[in-house]
Amino acid sequence: MKHIMDIRELEITAELAQIALTPVELERLGREVTQMVSYFEKMKEVDTDGLEPTTHAFVKANRVRPDAVKPSTLADAALERAPELEDRFIVIPNVL
Amino acid sequence: MAKLEDSWRRFSEKAASYTAYAKAWEAKIGAFLSFNPQHNPASTSAVPAGQSPVAGLPFGVKDNIAVAGFPLTCGSKMLEGLTSPYTATAVQKLIDGGARPVGKTNLDEFGMGSSTDNSALGKTNNPWDVTRVAGGSSGGSAACVAAGQVPFALGSDTGGSVRQPAAFCGVYGLKPTYGTVSRFGLTAYASSLEVIGVLATTVGLTRSVYDLIKGEDGNDQTSLKSEPGPARPVRKIGILKNLTGLAPGVEAVYRESLATLKKLGYTLVEVELPTLEYAVSAYYTIATAEASANLARFNGIRYGLRPEYAENPEDLIRKARTAGFGDEVKTRILLGSYVLRSGFQDQFYTKAQKVRTAIRRDFDRIFEEADVFLSPTFPTTAFAHGDTTMTSFQQKLADKFTVTANLTGQPGLSFPAGLADGLPVGLQVLAPVFEEGRLFEVADRFAEAVPPAACPGTSLDWSL
Repeated sequence: MKHIMDIRELEITAELAQIALTPVELERLGREVTQMVSYFEKMKEVDTDGLEPTTHAFVKANRVRPDAVKPSTLADAALERAPELEDRFIVIPNVL
Repeated sequence: MAKLEDSWRRFSEKAASYTAYAKAWEAKIGAFLSFNPQHNPASTSAVPAGQSPVAGLPFGVKDNIAVAGFPLTCGSKMLEGLTSPYTATAVQKLIDGGARPVGKTNLDEFGMGSSTDNSALGKTNNPWDVTRVAGGSSGGSAACVAAGQVPFALGSDTGGSVRQPAAFCGVYGLKPTYGTVSRFGLTAYASSLEVIGVLATTVGLTRSVYDLIKGEDGNDQTSLKSEPGPARPVRKIGILKNLTGLAPGVEAVYRESLATLKKLGYTLVEVELPTLEYAVSAYYTIATAEASANLARFNGIRYGLRPEYAENPEDLIRKARTAGFGDEVKTRILLGSYVLRSGFQDQFYTKAQKVRTAIRRDFDRIFEEADVFLSPTFPTTAFAHGDTTMTSFQQKLADKFTVTANLTGQPGLSFPAGLADGLPVGLQVLAPVFEEGRLFEVADRFAEAVPPAACPGTSLDWSL
């Protein structure tokens, strides 16, 4: 199956990724995205019938921690890094 | 060896001459995005650091790893000016061992690239030839070690980002077994692939640093305890039967090194790795898919770049991401969003995960035939800034020797094997999970036969 991405597909993808692209950028970045997607097509040649997908490099078992409250002292320092604060609230433009 | 590390320990007594030396190199190579040897983060350990093999040593930290009080920019305009409120587990363990972080090193933005030229905040040159790149994405960490600004540095390796710059700069670069070093404090790019690694001037120091930073960490759910098998000497080294596409200089050093290893008594076993041709496809499918999800957090709301004006929250997020990310990051986010879109997922993402399984099986078979696997780290030596034959697409294709270890989780070590036209060539050894010991053993014996060349212009004179 041919898989050359057209500009429209790229625009939809950019919208989903919340990145605005000028027509010039669409052209420039689109070239490499298309090149890579075509290259990914190569994977079709590999017979993967019966193989399970690997989701993590190396996982021995699921690990859980005790369900207990742990003190954290980071909250204030983290808030200080917000671009705009009012008391302990982060300010953003009007939602409505 | 001990002598070298002794001179480094005089660092704190000779701060002024050390700083002068480091700054003179810095003007030439731009390894650091921030440099502050006076900053002395507190140890959280009750144990005196005196016995530690890194006590008193200065080190560099890739600027996608958190160190409290230092900037954490990831080489991106998105995070320019941000300082970290906390310290990564791996860094804290080194501080507790008496080592001192002196600065944050340059990198390709968010770790995406093979040259460090994708950094939005600085340009890093190769100390061996300043017209060339230091490699990437941990290019700053490799350059500062090669130039003698620090004896070791931390990097991160998602697809070769520790090993490839180590090869370009003629130093050691360890990508540990996935999970053995906590990722707490490492800015996430592709979580199922990446690990914090070590760049250093000697095998011994690489091993000491790894031994200190490894271990399970309650703050990283994927971290695990290293459980190597019973120690036994390495005898058989697997090499590729059909190896093509190497630059002539790399090919020459590779062939010469095989002869050296034979002389050292190793048996070379030719092995086949049929899935190698698909490793780059599987890697970039998975890495970009994970990147598109991980980088969704950068939205200009809680920290980082915020546009001066936005109509509404969505407009704010789009403007922040559009202005904050560079071309390579945008390209990878687009690619990752595309392969994860409904309708394409099975064709790309799930297929890549299955190819990943096939690659792991190939390596399981190889490690039945051989104790370690050896190849060049990268097909070329350090290329020039702006080299038009090394487009970003070509750079990705050239990652084929390094990405396999990230897909399988196995450890890999790049070691300096010789020079080609005055530039370092690195070879990479891979081993089964937890068998870092085999990598150190081979690199150590190789160094006895072929000691690594020091980068011209480096010295420890500042410590005299």
